[in-house]
Amino acid sequence: MPFQFSNRHCSVYLLMIVALLWSGTALGASKQILEAAEVKAGPTGLDDAIWNEAEAIQVPFEGKEVFAGQKASVATKAVYTDQAIYFLFKWKDPTLSVVKGAWKYGGSKWEHQKGNEDRISLLFEINRINNFATKGCAIVCHVPPGASNAKNGKFGTSTAAEKGDLWHWKAARSDPAGVADDTWLTKITDEKGGRKSDDGSGGDQRNMTEDKSAPKYMPAPGQTLGKHDILLAAHAVEIPSDMVFKTGDTLTYRMPKKHEGSRGDIQAESHYAGGGWTVMLSRALDTGNEDDVAFNTRRKYNFAMALFDDSGDENSYDSEVITLQFK
Amino acid sequence: MMKPASRTSVSHDNGRGLHMGTMEAPALSSPMAWLKRTATDRDVCAWNRFVGGTLLALVVLLFLSGAFLAFYYSPVPGTAYDSVDFTLFEAPFGNIIKGIHHYAWNLLLVLTIFHLVRTLVAGAYRTPRRLTWISGGTILVLLPLFIITGDLLPWDQRGYWSTQVRLSIIASIPLIGEITVRVLQGGALTGIVALTRFYVLHILFLPCILLGCIVAHFYFVARHGLAERVMTTSSSAKRIPFWPRVVNRWLLTLLVTALLLVMLSHFWPPPLGDPADPTDSTYIPKPEWWVLFLNQMVAIFKGKWAVLGTTVIPGVLTGLLFMLPFLDRSPDYRPAQRRMILVVAGGIAAGIIVLSLMGYSEHFS
Repeated sequence: MPFQFSNRHCSVYLLMIVALLWSGTALGASKQILEAAEVKAGPTGLDDAIWNEAEAIQVPFEGKEVFAGQKASVATKAVYTDQAIYFLFKWKDPTLSVVKGAWKYGGSKWEHQKGNEDRISLLFEINRINNFATKGCAIVCHVPPGASNAKNGKFGTSTAAEKGDLWHWKAARSDPAGVADDTWLTKITDEKGGRKSDDGSGGDQRNMTEDKSAPKYMPAPGQTLGKHDILLAAHAVEIPSDMVFKTGDTLTYRMPKKHEGSRGDIQAESHYAGGGWTVMLSRALDTGNEDDVAFNTRRKYNFAMALFDDSGDENSYDSEVITLQFK
Repeated sequence: MMKPASRTSVSHDNGRGLHMGTMEAPALSSPMAWLKRTATDRDVCAWNRFVGGTLLALVVLLFLSGAFLAFYYSPVPGTAYDSVDFTLFEAPFGNIIKGIHHYAWNLLLVLTIFHLVRTLVAGAYRTPRRLTWISGGTILVLLPLFIITGDLLPWDQRGYWSTQVRLSIIASIPLIGEITVRVLQGGALTGIVALTRFYVLHILFLPCILLGCIVAHFYFVARHGLAERVMTTSSSAKRIPFWPRVVNRWLLTLLVTALLLVMLSHFWPPPLGDPADPTDSTYIPKPEWWVLFLNQMVAIFKGKWAVLGTTVIPGVLTGLLFMLPFLDRSPDYRPAQRRMILVVAGGIAAGIIVLSLMGYSEHFS
């Protein structure tokens, strides 16, 4: 009987194809992977059922400096449409911290209250940052003493070709304006650190007189305070000279400004309840701005996060590098 | 019972090789006329015997896709990864072309092994096809060298650390190991010199050697013809013109293979890991499927026995591959008459499969 092609041989070919596919997919990294689920319409809020489409990962964080030895964890989800990407973060925090040095009237003079704010930040690569994929923030933000890309508490990248996109959600300074501060990271110089604000306007305005002894602004007539009783810069007017305050009155010190241009690309929504934060950040996949990472849904992105619990930049909880990929 | 055809003739005229009345060289002025005069065994176009043609199609696709990738590639550690990343995600059809290059070598290796096994079972390594077998074996041995040199080029974690593992294994080979590594690396570390050398080997030296082997292989196939059918002693007497029948069949194979690879690349894009970080010694590369059994041997034989896994056993297997035509003293090419050879070959194949499964279990479970 001549050697004929049969089902048996067909099976052999199929096995080859399976082996082929297997060879291409079996290789994987051990890093934590955040899979962004594709959805037709983006979530409209923190409790939108669309979030059920995405699988949450628990991102572990290690405390640094005053938080050394402590751990934190953030449940993280992501979804995307053909236009935008959305992140949802949930973490435990027994204290709502939005003071950020707010003024308090003591009866005869104003004083800053003690207290900082809660924050979460994300760092993506715009252009590849050398070894960021393996070492994350340890090579750009929390570098060892003497590192070439850090000086006097400031940090940046080692070369101008390396650029990072830093998303910075601040409970007191950006969230009341409905945004996360959109900044970017470039090479540190002798004069300046590598952290830059994106093009456009935003940030916050310090509410103080020339001699820094008292607040300069108060809510404009007809304007109410924003989220967490924070005064927005757009709603503020100068305090009249005949204004009388009662003991215990408070006024915002860092007034969030309206974020416009590239700096206002990241929309934010948040809720503090039950001893924890829920924060949603969203941004266009590709803003077209050079100071933003452009998300291509065919590729993977490395990013790392930092959590600040009523603390300044030096005291944070940091995550390892996470891989973002689009399902 | 029909007497098997004589297997000792070296003539092209044994009814299975290319046949032109005489095996004259093609006139340079009229290659088409030469092609039109050439006839060959009808079995050449049986698609279950067209593995060699498929392999040639894959090699052509690898050369073409490799040339495309070379347009964008920058063989410097600082930019190699970015250039591959650009090719994959920015260049027009870059992901498809990169995918073709990635999947084609997998398929090439699988089909070459299949081709070898079939040739082994058919007894086609025996006289007069010894040189056909040896040239084919040389091609098989060359393929891993392509993979080894190609893996480093994207300068990603997997490629970099896989190369480190392979270099450490090569270095353990007695006498020649360390000098070989030094020549490949061009220094103490895997850096820009190593990347340049791997690149030149991958796109220049190895392709030239492969091309020579392929030409030799097809020359021997043309001269000595196809092997007899495995399950029959009959031989097809019908002959078909090389042009256009065989050429058209090959072009069709090229097209179908290309389409298959395009689909694979589209639905399962080729992987690109994180950029290489030579300071990150915590990264443990996972061996690829074709090297699982070798990896497992290295894991089994340790200390003073390591040389068994890194050198002796692979060396003996390679030696057996090339010596097989001279070792086989069986009276006939039919499988039933070569039980001892097939049992030994089956035992070796079983050992490779078991070791590969053990490796898979260790690294992927």
